[in-house]
Amino acid sequence: MARLTAHQVNELAGHFLAVAQAIGDYRYQNFDTLTKAQNRRLRESHKRVLDYSDAMYTRSAILVMENTQSALTQVAELAEQIMGSYTALQNVHKAIDIASSTVTLGASIFSKNPQAILNSIEKLRQTIKA
Amino acid sequence: MKTLQKPTLIILMASLLSACVSLKHVHDFSSASLTGVQGFNELGYSFESHCKANCRAASIRNLNILDEDCDCTSDQMADSVTLKIYNVVQGYFDGLTKLSDKTLTNYKTDDLQQALIEGDFGSITVGQKEVTSYSKISGVLLRVFTDTYRKNKLKGYVKEANTPVLQLLAFLKLNISSNLQGKLNVRRQRARSYHFDLVNDSTLSNYEKARVVKAYHNELHDIDQKQVKLLVYGKTLDTITEGHQQLFNQIDHLNEAAAKQVLYQYASELGTMITELKKVNE
Repeated sequence: MARLTAHQVNELAGHFLAVAQAIGDYRYQNFDTLTKAQNRRLRESHKRVLDYSDAMYTRSAILVMENTQSALTQVAELAEQIMGSYTALQNVHKAIDIASSTVTLGASIFSKNPQAILNSIEKLRQTIKA
Repeated sequence: MKTLQKPTLIILMASLLSACVSLKHVHDFSSASLTGVQGFNELGYSFESHCKANCRAASIRNLNILDEDCDCTSDQMADSVTLKIYNVVQGYFDGLTKLSDKTLTNYKTDDLQQALIEGDFGSITVGQKEVTSYSKISGVLLRVFTDTYRKNKLKGYVKEANTPVLQLLAFLKLNISSNLQGKLNVRRQRARSYHFDLVNDSTLSNYEKARVVKAYHNELHDIDQKQVKLLVYGKTLDTITEGHQQLFNQIDHLNEAAAKQVLYQYASELGTMITELKKVNE
């Protein structure tokens, strides 16, 4: 028999929950006519079925992993590529900033102003580092 | 150096500008989807927290203060699976939002212009008018090339991502809006059974029974609040799914008014749901 899928286990959990609901409702509605022993047995059955339902919802959530491995890998790789394109376009900003700093440095060198040269070199260094 | 004649410049600028693409509608939709998906961090409930709450309730039912055994390994695994899916989906929409942001290709060449105009380059002189004109053309050219690159890349990514992203959104919804929601329904029934027995315990006074009923309603209110959050989040994921499908359908017609309207519509719907989730969290 093939393994159950996440959706199938989720559906089963729902059915168990519905059965538990029916047991609980029966116990509440007939409480006055049930013996103590009968009430205790119904309460325990109710609890057990609820526990199964609870465990199945968890199981379904874990089984999701089996159904999503391929999609997870695909989308994670795409997200990386998208960030690559984003970084490439961001680098244009950086390239312009470097160009500006380089031109300023060039002008400082032509002006033969030592302080201006030092300031420009520092600015260029900061821009490249950023 | 030959300078371009003014009319030629105007024609060139006009044709270049017409090649520019606005991706604002894509950005608005992606950004709203990203915020919508990130609502995951505001849910305030998980498989593990449900397990721990159940252990606490069992201790109270059994009047047990000594035994602290509470095995939540499976629930931790369920949380880990859900988180993995969330992180990948969030990463995708984060990337899409960044890539479609207009400021990404809004290159400012003012500093470069200024450096060229003000710079003293010995015998070489650079006129302000020339720098300004050519900067404008190069700015537009840069924009056109990078926008075209951006648009083509976005097209490729959306086309390739549509099927797997929709799958991941569906499974994220299964875990949050169905599995976790189902566990809250289990909790609801457990609470009812426990408090029912207390209210029907003949050894308790009316006052004590009233306290039990109050505790039961407080528990129900807590469960209701959590379930509403999960429901709204599930609806948000549905809207993101539909919106991304529309983005995929319209990806080759992004400049058309109909495509823009559809995406703006989805962005607006997501905005409403995000506000709804915030209100529930208050």
